[in-house]
Amino acid sequence: MSVRYAVLGLISQKPRHGYETRVVFESLVGGDENWEVKPAQIYTTLDRLEEAGLVERSSDLGEGEEPSRRVFQVTPQGEEALQEWFASPVPSEHQRDEFFIKLIIGVACRQADPERLIQTQRVLLFQEMHAATNQREEYDPHTEMAQILLLDKAIMHLEADLRWLDMIEMRLEAIKEQPLPEPEIRRRGRPRKGEKGSTYPPPEKVVSPL
Amino acid sequence: MNLQLTLAVRYLAGRKLRTALTTLAIVFGVVLIFGMNTVMPTLIAALQANVQGAEGQADFTITNVAGDSFPADVTSRLQDIDGIRAFTASLERAVNLPADFVDNNPARPDRIMAVNLIGIIPEQARSIRAYPILEGRYLNDSDTAATVISQTLADAFSVKAGDSIRLPSISGLTELSVVGILPADIGPENESVLVTLPQAQKMTGESGNVNIIRVNVEAFADMARRTEIQGKIEAALGKNYRAGTLMAGEEMFGTMELAQIALSMFGALALFMGGFIIFNTFRTVVTERRRDIGMLRALGATRRTIIGAILTEGFLQGLLGSAIGLLFGYWMAFGVLKVAQGPLSAFVNIKLGTPIVEPGLVILSILLGVGVTVLAGLLPAWSASRVTPLEALRPTVTEVEFTRQTGRGFWAGMVILVLTVLAILSGQSTLILPGGILFLVGLVLVAPGLIRPFVSLFGRVVGFATVRQGIGGLAQSNLTRQPSRVAVTASTSLLGLAVIVAAGGLVTSMSGTLLDMLQDSLGSDYVYLPPSVGFWGSNVGAAPELAESLRAVPGVETVSTLRFASSQASGQVVSVLGIQPDEFQRVSGLVFVEGNKSAYEEIASEHALIANSVFMIGTGLKAVDTVELSTSDGQVQYRIAAVATDMLNAKINTVYISQDHLQTDFGNTEDVFIQIDLREGADREAAGAQIKALGENYPQFKVISGVDYYSTILAQFKAAFSALYILFAILAFPSLIAMLNTLTISVIERTREIGMIRAVGGTRRQIRNMVVAEALLLAAIGATFGILGGMYLGYVLVTAIDVIFPMGYSFPVSGIVAAIVIGLLFGVLAAIIPARQAARLEIIQALRYE
Amino acid sequence: MSIISAQNLTKIFGSGATAVTALDHVNLSVNPGEFVAIMGPSGCGKSTLLHLIGGLDRPSDGKVVIDGTSIAEMNDDRITELRRRKIGFVFQFFNLIPVLNAIENAALPITLDGVKPAEAQKKAAEWLTRFGLSSRLASRPDQLSGGEQQRVAIARALAAEPALILADEPTGNLDTRSGDEIAGLMRDVAKKYGRTVVMVTHDPRIAAYADRIVFLKDGKIVDETLLERNNDGGAAIVAQKIREIGD
Repeated sequence: MSVRYAVLGLISQKPRHGYETRVVFESLVGGDENWEVKPAQIYTTLDRLEEAGLVERSSDLGEGEEPSRRVFQVTPQGEEALQEWFASPVPSEHQRDEFFIKLIIGVACRQADPERLIQTQRVLLFQEMHAATNQREEYDPHTEMAQILLLDKAIMHLEADLRWLDMIEMRLEAIKEQPLPEPEIRRRGRPRKGEKGSTYPPPEKVVSPL
Repeated sequence: MNLQLTLAVRYLAGRKLRTALTTLAIVFGVVLIFGMNTVMPTLIAALQANVQGAEGQADFTITNVAGDSFPADVTSRLQDIDGIRAFTASLERAVNLPADFVDNNPARPDRIMAVNLIGIIPEQARSIRAYPILEGRYLNDSDTAATVISQTLADAFSVKAGDSIRLPSISGLTELSVVGILPADIGPENESVLVTLPQAQKMTGESGNVNIIRVNVEAFADMARRTEIQGKIEAALGKNYRAGTLMAGEEMFGTMELAQIALSMFGALALFMGGFIIFNTFRTVVTERRRDIGMLRALGATRRTIIGAILTEGFLQGLLGSAIGLLFGYWMAFGVLKVAQGPLSAFVNIKLGTPIVEPGLVILSILLGVGVTVLAGLLPAWSASRVTPLEALRPTVTEVEFTRQTGRGFWAGMVILVLTVLAILSGQSTLILPGGILFLVGLVLVAPGLIRPFVSLFGRVVGFATVRQGIGGLAQSNLTRQPSRVAVTASTSLLGLAVIVAAGGLVTSMSGTLLDMLQDSLGSDYVYLPPSVGFWGSNVGAAPELAESLRAVPGVETVSTLRFASSQASGQVVSVLGIQPDEFQRVSGLVFVEGNKSAYEEIASEHALIANSVFMIGTGLKAVDTVELSTSDGQVQYRIAAVATDMLNAKINTVYISQDHLQTDFGNTEDVFIQIDLREGADREAAGAQIKALGENYPQFKVISGVDYYSTILAQFKAAFSALYILFAILAFPSLIAMLNTLTISVIERTREIGMIRAVGGTRRQIRNMVVAEALLLAAIGATFGILGGMYLGYVLVTAIDVIFPMGYSFPVSGIVAAIVIGLLFGVLAAIIPARQAARLEIIQALRYE
Repeated sequence: MSIISAQNLTKIFGSGATAVTALDHVNLSVNPGEFVAIMGPSGCGKSTLLHLIGGLDRPSDGKVVIDGTSIAEMNDDRITELRRRKIGFVFQFFNLIPVLNAIENAALPITLDGVKPAEAQKKAAEWLTRFGLSSRLASRPDQLSGGEQQRVAIARALAAEPALILADEPTGNLDTRSGDEIAGLMRDVAKKYGRTVVMVTHDPRIAAYADRIVFLKDGKIVDETLLERNNDGGAAIVAQKIREIGD
């Protein structure tokens, strides 16, 4: 999603052709050793933008049909869409967490010692944070600010994760005592009155521990 | 600068107010000790200088050990002593002049209140010193009523050579013609009036006697040789004589020494209280600095280093306090001497100079000031060294004392209290005085345990007063949080106020008794009063003819006179008063401690005397002993017939013998004090007029009526007692400092708390009132303890002095009232600054205070 | 040989029914030049462990051996000497004596050892300069920022050239930026100046600067981990993060 708008932004800055767009984008995020952007990705994005009417081919350098030589420029709708993108915040995605799944399954199936789980995770997080901190020291703030900012984010997230682990640890006893939610297996057919599945009387709610 | 010194200086400078307050306590003590002890020697030195006269040029001065006169032929014993170059004998007496005698101008204050009458053998005297004549001529051996005086005296009398002056003498006013003028005298002594020896003997009734022999030894004699010669002289003259510096006025010296001791004790007490204050402050300092101390220990400072740091701080404060104390002490002495000059001259003629600084006293004062401070800091320094390094990491909140206050100290104090009460009940005089002081110590020990109950008791009262403000409770709890600190503060108040109450008790009792005695012993109708009452030796009296003429006045029933001689007994100087037992009883009277009125007969019929209590104590004799009095002829034995006191002579060693014996043994017939009683139904007007008329020819006496005399003495007493009260009130001053100290520290410690109170809506006024309430509580506690201790101490003092001077105990209402007023007043005063500071705290700053 | 060896270390506070076991038979070994962080929830005994290692407190059982010498037998004077010469301390707050300026504070351990102040301050000035405080030598603590104060404290900890530095929550009172600075400084102390640093902290971000973390819980060591994994671990992380940004 964000590559799409990044490209739109670059083109809105000035009309560019595909090749140019890719090179500029790579240098912005710190060179191709960090992120190699496949050319196809850029061209596909440009096509999609054109289909959506956010960019259009400029009539200038029309020397042939090579995709890399096609020059694009932004449309008014494109400008509008760009502004909308700037104005709206980026939703965070924190609910999907593999460790989270691991912990819950481990507790539910009584297959793992939760404290061990947490400590193992913790050690890794620390190692990562240690590495990130070291790495951060090595960047030059004058030229590699983007990398530093990224690492700051990484460090902060790691920190947050570690604190979250501390919190879980404090509540482990409560978690272990919660009954495991077993989903109901639905019987075929209409539920009879009073049976599970009928709406009368209303079923008691099972509160999910999660 | 080493570390401890650096730390001490910085910490002291960092809390300037508190440093100033604690140093003040030391300053106060040193001022008193140094100041008082400088005043006294200066007074004594002035006295000595006054009496020495033209002392300067003689090597030795020979006097009778009792200060009395002796036959002139004693000089013959000096004839053959090797090493003496020249000597001369003279008769010298200070003659007190009545007011305005010289200038006849009541409007102008008198400069000349006495002169030295010096009877010399003119040519012999010249061998000892020179008498340069400015005008006229020197004395001749054949002169009779001629005199040579100094230029100053001549100017005062407005005379020149060829004129004449009149002086009081034993036979009334004597006229002397001025034959020569000497240069003006420099120095504080009295002006000299030189006459021939026979003339002086005639004017003082000392025929054939001299009282000083001046000796010059050979030139260039060194110290060893001079000591050798001195020894020879003393051997030749016998033990009744002394070769040395003239020391007349022994009787006054005795009193002065007593006063000096009393004042030194004063200063010591003040310094002791100062030590309390220092102790209190140091304890607080250590508490406040636990973190820093812990930090230093964590960094590797040994316990010794910590102790050294605290003691260095104490040392510096002590040094500073002593230095300032010395400075102010000198100024105080200067001021006291200036102020004392006036009143003192009424009693005795001396001119006081500037204070004399003795290096020994300076060093002693510094040692005391520094010593007390360092000593007071010892215990806090030790407890500072016990602070663990962990304090640096986990600073404890200001120490709230949870330890039981009724610990060992409390019970020790209770035991002491019980013991001292038993001591006084036992009636043993030797136990009583130390018992009184121990009582105070007991109170101090018991105090911490009593703080809580006291505070809640008084707190209720404060609570009433501040019920709408709601801060009375806070003030209360502030005090109960740190009972031992409150106790130390209260102890300082206790000591100061106890002394006031005790003094009150003493004074009230004394004045009651004294005034009664006055009525009894001096209730005569008329009195011939010499200028110096009590210091009889410096007066020129009257020959017996005056008393005879007075007896002849119609309407006069009794005339009783006093005669005087100076003597020595058991190594002590004694005033020997000659009385006419019959007449004396009728007009005056003694208060008998042992024995009774039959003693009057005994002293008339035998060689017996009545001694006063001071004499008995001073010589350690008992009532049935005999005592040897030294006279110019040797020792004479007297049996002690009774022990009694009269008001006039209560303070000095005094014995009363019959006038007949005085004449035979001491050769004195001079009346120095005359009391006259009129017959019932006599014509008082006429008699009075005649009595006064007779007095005109004897201007050395003031003729006053008994009633007037009584009121004069009464006024003097009141003045003396007020002065005493003021002096004792000064002692309460350190308690003011102590309270100020405690309150300031308490405010500083609770800065955060105060900020919090303000942040949740307490007004500045409420904060101020809280501090004032605390101060009043503090003062009330101190006053209560002080009054209790003071009443007890007062009772003790009265009982102790009862031995010398019988008096009954009167309840010191005025003393108690004074203590309460002063205590509360000081409480409010002490609260002013801390209350203002507390109210002015900025909330944000206070909350951030660490 | 390890520079710190804690054996069977136990500390019990209080007695009888109210006794609290702060440390329960803890064994810890630290090698010279290591930078060790001690972590754990509050009340786990990490500060107590540090106090015992530094000789600020005495254990109820077990012993501490510093550089081959057991401190159990030492009397107060000898332990005090140890704290002067062999161990440097950095605390969380109130580190400095308020009435002394920066250079005097930094020179304290040496001055306390009897060296003349002038000479001691020369040494202190070197360290202060290394930590960027050459212009603040004469400033009093109340004129310094939190971070500057901690730097003075660290200079002080190093002034007597001790082999061991013990830090108790040194960044606890500082903002993030200053905290990072100080943590970085602590790492320099270990790596660049070759001391052994043992630091108690509850801040994971700060702990990440160390080589090794010891996890304490309820008075016992529950885990230990070395933190160095591989050399380009850091770059890999950056790359991963950027990937996450992608679609």
